[in-house]
Amino acid sequence: MGAPAGLQADCEALLSRFQEMDSVRFEDFTDLWRSMKFGTIFCGRMRNLEKNTFTKEALALAWRYFLPPYTFQIRVCALYLLYGLYNTQLCQPKQKIRVAVKDWDEILKFQQDLINAQHFDAAYIFRKLRLDRAFHFTAMPTLLSYRMKKKIQRAEVTEDFKDPNDHVMKLITSDVLEEMLNVHDHYQRMKHIISADRANPDKALSLIKDDFFDNIKSIVLEHQQWYKDRKNLSLKSKGKDGEEKSEGNSQQLERSERAESLAKIKSRAFSVFVQASKSRRHRQVKLDSSDSDSASSQRQTKATRKRKNKETLKPEGRKMSSRYRGDMQNVHKEDKSVSLSMPVITEEEEENESFSETEFTAPKRRRKHRTKSLV
Amino acid sequence: MAEGSRGGSTCGGGVGGRQNPVPSSGGCNFPEYELPEMNTRVFHVAAFGELWLGRLRGEGDLSLKEPPAPALPGGRGVADSGQEDEAVARDLGCSLEAAAELRAVCGVRKRLLEHREETITIDRVCRQETFAYEMESHAIGKKPENPADMIEEGELILSVNILYPVIFHKHKEHKPYQTMLVLGSQKLTELRDSICCVSDLQIGGEFSNTPDQAPEHISKDLYKSAFFYFEGTFYNDKRYPECRDLSRTIIEWSESHDRGYGKFQTAKMEDFTFNDLCIKLGFPYLYCHQGDCEHVVVITDIRLVHHNDCLDRTLYPLLIKKHWLWTRKCFVCKMYTARWVTNNDSFAPEDPCFFCDVCFRMLHYDSEGNKLGEFLAYPYVDPGTFS
Repeated sequence: MGAPAGLQADCEALLSRFQEMDSVRFEDFTDLWRSMKFGTIFCGRMRNLEKNTFTKEALALAWRYFLPPYTFQIRVCALYLLYGLYNTQLCQPKQKIRVAVKDWDEILKFQQDLINAQHFDAAYIFRKLRLDRAFHFTAMPTLLSYRMKKKIQRAEVTEDFKDPNDHVMKLITSDVLEEMLNVHDHYQRMKHIISADRANPDKALSLIKDDFFDNIKSIVLEHQQWYKDRKNLSLKSKGKDGEEKSEGNSQQLERSERAESLAKIKSRAFSVFVQASKSRRHRQVKLDSSDSDSASSQRQTKATRKRKNKETLKPEGRKMSSRYRGDMQNVHKEDKSVSLSMPVITEEEEENESFSETEFTAPKRRRKHRTKSLV
Repeated sequence: MAEGSRGGSTCGGGVGGRQNPVPSSGGCNFPEYELPEMNTRVFHVAAFGELWLGRLRGEGDLSLKEPPAPALPGGRGVADSGQEDEAVARDLGCSLEAAAELRAVCGVRKRLLEHREETITIDRVCRQETFAYEMESHAIGKKPENPADMIEEGELILSVNILYPVIFHKHKEHKPYQTMLVLGSQKLTELRDSICCVSDLQIGGEFSNTPDQAPEHISKDLYKSAFFYFEGTFYNDKRYPECRDLSRTIIEWSESHDRGYGKFQTAKMEDFTFNDLCIKLGFPYLYCHQGDCEHVVVITDIRLVHHNDCLDRTLYPLLIKKHWLWTRKCFVCKMYTARWVTNNDSFAPEDPCFFCDVCFRMLHYDSEGNKLGEFLAYPYVDPGTFS
């Protein structure tokens, strides 16, 4: 039987209100829970059998939000929601939460992230659920009974709760960059070998820009930094009672400083800003005024050269760790004043491509043009 | 494990891989969807169990001991909380004060829950719902009297749907089925014995002349052969000498021409436990008995045993869900369940016609027990008899 009507709507209402609070603290969750009187969800006049099925459905629904691809905040809220539902249910003995074996490793990783980021309340709650033996360890998340439904209902992932897809990073991974570098080096060597003058390749052979690989790498790194900063800004995580002093503190200071300096550079170089309104903070990326396209095309478009990039190139390993999503360190309040809209890269005099300002108003043309110039 | 791989089931990928021995690494043992939301790929049951056991701590997660009785709020000794806080601090890497604060903030308000339990009002319930609820929960938490019958930690519980062989038009959307819980360490024969199907109870023979003669055998005793079909292997019941290999016909048919099926294997049902099988979850398999009574069998779920489950091994395979079937009542009194069916009956208004025992004798026999009129009478076992 499908989920009871309204159950998903209620859970999503709770999750989105929690998301607006911009916090991952359990106290905030309990305030929200009590204000919504969420515990009364089980108080409908249900007889025993319906209680059982309803509770199972509710737990299965909340469980979905606990797994990727939802954002960190949503997942923590889903954990609290599971805890609340498990403890306020009226079934005797309590209905358990089903965990499939393929998800367990992901969950352990999540718990480790929580501990590393010192969200002790969330980690404590998970630990408590485990101690209470609230889980059924199963093969698959739901029972499979080969029901031939006319239309297979796929669980839809609520877009608001997901991290927006970082298409750039999916396209240009570290493997791709490494390979690009290899190919580039090989190509350069070939050119040198077949030229008459060993030191310099023939003029006729200079068909690409020699430093294109360095440029791509720096652009990608900058994009990464921007992405991380944007995510850090949208999650305010406060440590528990002075537990804020951790080994990671110096590291996060460094990062926020870098974020600040980067922001200053951008603010000096670029003219166009968009400050997203508070209620749309989580949608900042989509509000760039110069681009009316969807978010994905937006991110792919700005890859022009940027000579003013002051960032040092990080080694591969470091880059991968900065992508580590669970790594939510404290962000200083000053960052809030930084506007983190998508960096708009204007044309500079030194560039010898044929980009022009007017390109910005015609995104599709720009994209085609850009790919031509890079190769 | 599956020593019976000579001719036994294998976990190769796909139809052609039948001759390979069961792989021991986790490669094909991670249950994952083959057809999304419908069924999984083939995996080995015991190996799946190992995947979990390797990831969990026995003491905490898998223990079947009763949880300690919850202390009264506020009545707990200081020493207890102190110990707990230490454990928390150790696990999470936080300070003791933080642990104490966590305990205060994240606890559950018991009194609110209890209050709500007392004040809820619930409507009256119908028989079928009570029946379904009872079936589901009657064995929960049962402990065996004999400790040797206790289920061990880490045991797997499979949930099996066995569909009824009836084909009614009204069932075309949802076929009726019964659900049984079976342990991983139990043999296939134990499941076979616990499936109660009406066709097992049929009594062959025409008894209009001798209605009082107690029939000697029910079909279950006469025709003992049966087989399960899982993943290309037919598991035949060979416990008794009368048991025949019902699957041979199918295998010969498949091999006579190139019909596009791989090579089928046969094995003995009594040699295999559920832990030895390679199966797909959610995929329909077959159970056949009485020569032609076929049931579709679907394994819907496998999980580790939990301390709230029924822990008495002797109660498994455990029936937890059964389709409620209305029994056919006697045509005359409309009260008792029909026990006789007649054909070509001059006394009956329809053919076939159903009677309970009393009405049947009153209508068809005189006070001395002589047969009146012409008719054929057969004993009838109603499918709803078990409800």
